[in-house]
Amino acid sequence: MNRNLIHGLMVTLLLISSAYAVKVGEPAPDFQATDSNGQGHKLSNERGKFVVLEWHNNGCPYTQKHYESGNMQRLQKEWTDKGVVWFTVISSAQGQQGYVTAQQENDYLKQMKASPTAALLDPQGEVGRLYSAKTTPHMFVINPAGVLIYDGAIDDKATTEQADIAGAKNYVSQALEEAAAGKPVSTPTSRPYGCSVKYAH
Amino acid sequence: MLNRSFIHWLGFFFACAFWLVIPLFSSSKSPADEHVSVELVAGQNAVVPGKELWLGIRFALEDGWHTYWTNPGDSGEAARIDWHLPAGYEAGAIQWPYPERLSTPPFADYGYGHQVLLMVPVRAPAELREGQAQKIGVSVRYLTCREVCIPGRKELELSLPVQTYAGASQARKLFDASRSRLPRPAPRNWRTSVLSRGDEFLLNLTIGKLDKEPEFFPLEAEQIENASPQEATAIPGGIRLHLKKSKYLLKPAARLKGVIVLGPDRAYLLDVPISQSGGESTQQN
Repeated sequence: MNRNLIHGLMVTLLLISSAYAVKVGEPAPDFQATDSNGQGHKLSNERGKFVVLEWHNNGCPYTQKHYESGNMQRLQKEWTDKGVVWFTVISSAQGQQGYVTAQQENDYLKQMKASPTAALLDPQGEVGRLYSAKTTPHMFVINPAGVLIYDGAIDDKATTEQADIAGAKNYVSQALEEAAAGKPVSTPTSRPYGCSVKYAH
Repeated sequence: MLNRSFIHWLGFFFACAFWLVIPLFSSSKSPADEHVSVELVAGQNAVVPGKELWLGIRFALEDGWHTYWTNPGDSGEAARIDWHLPAGYEAGAIQWPYPERLSTPPFADYGYGHQVLLMVPVRAPAELREGQAQKIGVSVRYLTCREVCIPGRKELELSLPVQTYAGASQARKLFDASRSRLPRPAPRNWRTSVLSRGDEFLLNLTIGKLDKEPEFFPLEAEQIENASPQEATAIPGGIRLHLKKSKYLLKPAARLKGVIVLGPDRAYLLDVPISQSGGESTQQN
């Protein structure tokens, strides 16, 4: 009885803390993760640069919309060329859709001509849960001071259709452009759209 | 011995042939078809000039698969429809039955399993010739998910004659069932208010005694945390629901809009101004 109560309380506390782990305007929580080349990355090592986090699942039709059209690759190229750090994060658990080995991810990046700074493998979902990443894609932008300045959808057309990309307003580019120009981000949050992140149960 | 092994091989051959042939036959179907069937149905057997006609998109889903409410929650996507109607027809909005909560811890979606009929009222023009066939078409774009999600797109069509009277169609029961799941306007004697306090909205429902705890479904995304438990506490003459604010809610919200479900087929629309200080106001219907 008592034990159940304590357990319930702990779960509640965890839920509360995870629901508010990240908030726009507050420091982005630090994390460490290993990329598909076996290299370690720490968010706090990227201070002084803008950082984009892109949640990814190659089997998800919403992710496919932005990769098969080349939209995501264009964004990666454009922004990393300007010195932005771009982390693609894969939080699919082993056995779930989108889970990849390091080799599979490297093959995918090559095949898709994708060029994130690194693809971080997060099969335990630690980084995903830390950021409450809900969907693929789900995008975050962190400013050079380490403050979260955008949390939400990639753009304002919540569909799986490539044809919708042309007329869409891209929230990630908008946040980066505005912040780089010293302006406040006009859309700091939006409802992320896509498939649910396939966390370990 | 030889014979038996020959039969064995023959069986193997046909099995292989089948594997090759089946995908050929099913290639015109989208992958979503395996888990859902989508149909255009009418609530009546004819079009009556100048009168309202109810049409519906029926989704029949395989066990474990879902499609989504107008606010899909943390992931997913609501179905979208584009009508191809003869000249003079006017289609209204989708009438969304109240949804169920689809838990995908640590998140939650809102949608439907098994079967749902999305009804749309359509007004027929006054000048139609009796006996003429009316071709009604619709494009439906939808998402179905289990653990994985598959988008689908269907072009559907039906034809109805023009008559001076219309009778019930075979699909009438589906329409009746769906209609009973539509949220109704809140009763006039309800007193409802919403107070913004810290990281919660307190939804006060002075609506008399309830048999069970009501469930609130937000009509707008980014107002409340979809997966957070909705704690209910007793207040004089009713109940208070504690709704955790969404972390995407950066500016104070003016109104809380949603559907409150008190029990099976007892869903009501709420659209309540949010007060910051704590006054109580009566809902405007």
